[in-house]
Amino acid sequence: MKRRRSVTALALAASLAAIGVAGCKSRSPSTSASVAPPSHRDGAPDWCGTTQITLAQLDGFGGNSWRLVTTASGEDEVKKCPSVTSYQYANGNGDTQKAISDIQAFTAKGVDAMVVFGDAGQAMLPAIRSAYKAGVVVVPYRVEVGGKAGVDYTQFIGASFVNDGVSWGTWIKRILPHGGHLLFLSGPKGNSQGNDELKGMTSVLDESYQFLNEAPYDVTNWDPALTQTVLTAEIAKNPKIDVIVSDFGPSLVGALPVFTRSGRSIPALATSDGNALGCFWKDNQAANPEFKLFTVATGNDNVRLAVDWAVAKATGGKPPDATAFQAPSFEDSVTGTPHPVACEPSLPGDIYLSAQLAKDAQVAAVNRK
Amino acid sequence: MVIDATTPHTTTAATRRSGSRLRLARGSVAIATATIALFGLGAAVAPSSVSHSAIIGMVPFAAVLAIAGLGQLLVVQQGGIDVSVAGGISLAVVIVTHEPDGDSARLAPAIAMAIGFAIAAGLVNGLLVTRLRLSAIIATLGMNSLLYGAVFAVSGGTPRSTTRLLARIAGDTTWGIPNAALFAVAALAVVAVLTKKTVAGRRFEAIGASPAAARAVGLRVRTHRTLAFVWAQLLYCLAGILLAGITHQPTAFQGDSLLLPSVAVVVLAGTSLLGGRGFPVATAIAAVFLRELQQFVLALGVDTSVQTLVQAIALAVGVALYSIDWSAVRQRWFGPGATHRQGDAS
Repeated sequence: MKRRRSVTALALAASLAAIGVAGCKSRSPSTSASVAPPSHRDGAPDWCGTTQITLAQLDGFGGNSWRLVTTASGEDEVKKCPSVTSYQYANGNGDTQKAISDIQAFTAKGVDAMVVFGDAGQAMLPAIRSAYKAGVVVVPYRVEVGGKAGVDYTQFIGASFVNDGVSWGTWIKRILPHGGHLLFLSGPKGNSQGNDELKGMTSVLDESYQFLNEAPYDVTNWDPALTQTVLTAEIAKNPKIDVIVSDFGPSLVGALPVFTRSGRSIPALATSDGNALGCFWKDNQAANPEFKLFTVATGNDNVRLAVDWAVAKATGGKPPDATAFQAPSFEDSVTGTPHPVACEPSLPGDIYLSAQLAKDAQVAAVNRK
Repeated sequence: MVIDATTPHTTTAATRRSGSRLRLARGSVAIATATIALFGLGAAVAPSSVSHSAIIGMVPFAAVLAIAGLGQLLVVQQGGIDVSVAGGISLAVVIVTHEPDGDSARLAPAIAMAIGFAIAAGLVNGLLVTRLRLSAIIATLGMNSLLYGAVFAVSGGTPRSTTRLLARIAGDTTWGIPNAALFAVAALAVVAVLTKKTVAGRRFEAIGASPAAARAVGLRVRTHRTLAFVWAQLLYCLAGILLAGITHQPTAFQGDSLLLPSVAVVVLAGTSLLGGRGFPVATAIAAVFLRELQQFVLALGVDTSVQTLVQAIALAVGVALYSIDWSAVRQRWFGPGATHRQGDAS
């Protein structure tokens, strides 16, 4: 009996050692791709090299239409490169533990590249680092996870929220050249996105533009119910609001009628786009003379730049020059450039007409159960 | 006899029972007084918090909380806490937005489907608690996960925009009163009349006060307790449908932020967490109190952390009013005579 147990233990140890050796051998150091001269797959974009790879897209939280469109956009971008032989997706469902174990699982499965939406921020860094150290090309995007490129991961692809703030500020200056009263709404307290957007706005706007909100922004948690409550309080408190700035436009659709109920015109709005918001503007602009609308693209295409980087690094292609996604201006109801306000009443309210992904593909993405 | 048994943990001493009744009745008065005082304080310190537009904006959310609170009240009266309020509301929100997908004509079947889910969830909750004798918190915690599973199955976690019809039903006003408030008043009337004015309602409260005594006199304890969970889910369903209409672009997790407040309004209204006598009207008033408190701290323009602290302190004071034995505190600080003098005065 004792001998049998020791034989079993020996076999187990041997197999574990074999797995360990195989695990070590299966990967080349992730930096090797950057040393080799870039290759290029014919007929594919520059970032698509010739080495065949597998790629995984990981979401910390995938449960809203914006994420579904973003995920579909990532998959769409991957299809542009035939060198990617397999694409897989995992949704952390807002559970940090699951998001971490997803990364570990894909590392163990042996994927060559990962793009990671690290919703949990720095909590994701150890898992990201260990995947990178195991030889996976790891590209976190949009949410900062701390760490350094080349040490903890391959490359971080941020979103330039400061740029969004500058775009809003410039537009506000154009419609209100002599200053005005602004109300800025963002997500949870302390979120860096809101801080960066404010930095961008204040770099353009002088003291004649007065922020009515609690500094640095009114906290809404991006929750439509809380947004409505906060907006109600601000409307009651401030008889004059010239512009509302919000980094999640569609969540305002339920809240804006509060102005109408108070017998006031909906003010100008600088925000990010969404089909529901565009349609709301079309339905209400006639009755609300001060309701002007300016949007920046809501940033679904941020993932495309991350995919480009990950694929380039893993397949030996040429990475793009940009390392941060600059959301372009999308709609302007005053000048009509780059686009007049867009509304597709026949399509769901929660698709994003600014995204590159085709409308029918977006509808398919948000309809996917 | 049955009616007399509606105070929690009925004791043999008649004096103790009458003292307890007085304390609970005082609870209803306390929350009403606190609410009036809050409006008074708002008018003096932050007038915008009591302006017409602030109140019109606050009332629909208070109505939703009141309805969810009434559901929670029924479960609390049976000595439980219903954690599945979050999942129940979120599922209703998801069904009535995702199924019609913007088409008002498909709203009615979606509402019927939401009601079907609510009844099923309530029945399972009730059976888990009464037949399998699970603690209500554990049973409803599991049900909450199941309901969120249904949320994902129905919608993939993404509700749609509200249909125009639902937005009008829940978000518009009638004679200047937000429609959601009318729904809340109707729900309140149904709960108050059923529990206070019908034989079944009196039995329901008696069972909550003492299941053992109720069983001894031949009341159908299991049926009443199971129905408490079913009624609760139906009320959460109504709250979810209204919330979907009010917010226009809800999330799939809209019920989460109502879990704690739904218990808070029940406690603030003076209902004992041990079960027994319930206070539907006071629960609705407590919902107005909590939502107006939120408007008040927002109107003050204080930091978010202070807003959270003020609400937490209000809750702590409310709970302390009912759960601390104040006569013992008075005895300890002012000597045995203090209680007697207090008793004389009252």
